[in-house]
Amino acid sequence: MPKTTKKTETANNLTDRQLKEMYRRMVLIRRFEEVAFEKALAGNYANYHGAMGQEAIPVGACFDLTPEDGTMITHRGLGVPITRGVTVKDIFAGLYGRADSPTRGRIPVYHMGEPKLGVLTGTSMVGSVIPLASGKALANKLDKNNNVVISFFGDGAANRGDFHEGINLAGVWNLAIVFFCENNFYAKSMPLEKSTAGGSIIRRADGYGLPSMLVDGNDVLAVYDATKQAVARAREGGGPTFIECETYRWTPHSTAGDREFARTEEELASWKAKCPVRRLEALLLETGQASSEELNAFDEAAQREIEEAIDWVEKASDPGPEVALENVYV
Amino acid sequence: MPEMTMAQALNEAHRIAMQADSRVFAIGEDIGDYGGIYRVTVGLLDEFGKDRVRDTPISEAAIVGSSVGAALVGCRPILEIGFVDFVGTCWDQIINQAAKYRYLSGGKASVPLVMRMACGAGLGYGVHHSQSLEAWFTHTPGIKVVMPAFPDDAKGLLLAAVDDDDPVAFFEHKFLYTYKDAVPEGRHVVPIGKGKIRREGRDLTIVCWSRAVHWALDVAEKAATEGIECEVIDLRTLVPLDEDLIHNSVSRTNRLIVCHEACRTSGFGAEIVSRVVETSFDFLEAPPIRVAAPDIPVPNSIPLEKVYLRPESELLDAVHKLTGVRFHKLKQH
Repeated sequence: MPKTTKKTETANNLTDRQLKEMYRRMVLIRRFEEVAFEKALAGNYANYHGAMGQEAIPVGACFDLTPEDGTMITHRGLGVPITRGVTVKDIFAGLYGRADSPTRGRIPVYHMGEPKLGVLTGTSMVGSVIPLASGKALANKLDKNNNVVISFFGDGAANRGDFHEGINLAGVWNLAIVFFCENNFYAKSMPLEKSTAGGSIIRRADGYGLPSMLVDGNDVLAVYDATKQAVARAREGGGPTFIECETYRWTPHSTAGDREFARTEEELASWKAKCPVRRLEALLLETGQASSEELNAFDEAAQREIEEAIDWVEKASDPGPEVALENVYV
Repeated sequence: MPEMTMAQALNEAHRIAMQADSRVFAIGEDIGDYGGIYRVTVGLLDEFGKDRVRDTPISEAAIVGSSVGAALVGCRPILEIGFVDFVGTCWDQIINQAAKYRYLSGGKASVPLVMRMACGAGLGYGVHHSQSLEAWFTHTPGIKVVMPAFPDDAKGLLLAAVDDDDPVAFFEHKFLYTYKDAVPEGRHVVPIGKGKIRREGRDLTIVCWSRAVHWALDVAEKAATEGIECEVIDLRTLVPLDEDLIHNSVSRTNRLIVCHEACRTSGFGAEIVSRVVETSFDFLEAPPIRVAAPDIPVPNSIPLEKVYLRPESELLDAVHKLTGVRFHKLKQH
């Protein structure tokens, strides 16, 4: 019988160094999200789908992955590329559409992939990459390696047909994949309780016969633990796992013309109180595994890295028109 | 040279491709145990095993999506969609994922997959099993579009499509699966992007593809008895289009018919006529004529289906009309 367990215990098997590295990444993503949002509102690029408040998920889930493991990303937030090693400079280059960028100015940067780091391209069609993720897992199976794929998607995508088809296929073929739902309870302005028959995303996993875990998505160690179990199961040939992480975004769906969506100040405040960055900070300080000077130093380094990236990108040149016509075909 | 049906020729192409490269795999509904609804994949499961010949649930979005995902990391899937009419259920995967990842990745990724789809009417299968929808694909940058009319080209173009690093929409006319003809043995490859003059003629050019090529060749035979010599171009590939071949022919014959089974409005014939008018206007002695199905869904009752298929019977009329036209401009020699 597939198991659903609520994971809120923290892991005690990480070293000080690892925990501090998690913090460093989370605060880098947080500072990045703040600036990415602000620069979009200032008109430097058309749109940004912020993930402020959701930093624990990319850091916890991707912490133990190797570059051969694939992650399919969503349109929201760039925490996965950042945690897997894409520089904020490259990401801003992509956001600003500069010539010297991995995307060469052609695409919204959440479509960018960095295959060398295992970051596989995303899409604007939420949920459409779920079958693609199953396809990558299929390729791994044919190659007889034990690489794993994590397919990230949100609560909105869970209602798409591709969600059903991609997960069902992975289930029948017992693919080495983790289906990872970042449930932030709103799809654009649509709250979960109005969009999702049955009221639960994770219970859908039962229908596919998949083991599943419901996780506090703002507890980086719980995310880490759950993903570690799911990845281990996949690597050992145990097939797919479905993880649902409960989290929340502090910002509207995007910066482009979106009004603030209908949620209460109380709701926002209650989630801000569960800030994933603050929670790890508190844990590290309480246990004495880090000092506040060390943690401040990470924060300052993050801000510096982002400032340097912004300085560079604001002076960087745009691509020439010929770039628009290239790479349509091989 | 051995004779075989188009289905058999496609089967051979699968075999040759899968023997040559272990990254090639076949995926689709009823292709493994059942051998495919058109018998194209018969015997492949026995030879290559169930890892590489994959039967799927009814999940076109997952079939295309998973093939895109596998192709992005180096596999070369050949997927089958049994009726192009079903393509609406996986359209996003085709146009937004498969077609665009080359571009989105800045050239770092490619999607070397082949989407085999059966198209065409004539068997009384009705509205959802008879359409010709190639024009949807030709309008999508990033996809190549191939439509063989003969078994030898079916084999050769499928092998070329598997080798091609771009996503290829490969249309097989279901009426032609049992058409038998000579097919070269071994690794016979036909280049994508090159049409073929099936019959030479001086009086007019008929540009066509897929089943319409057979209509055109029949009409050319009849017209020859009346002293009209038709040049029949079998395009074989729609995208990339062999414009030079068309231009060269029209510059000699000065008259153009484009014939296709698909509906008239926005059919690919409109694109060809536009291009010829743009580039070869001075060579034209008469306005080009398109011969195509009326803009209707395909009815299944046999007499009604014949209305849809009237391009077949209208083509000879079009030849007469085109060669009966007097043009006032002095002919340049």
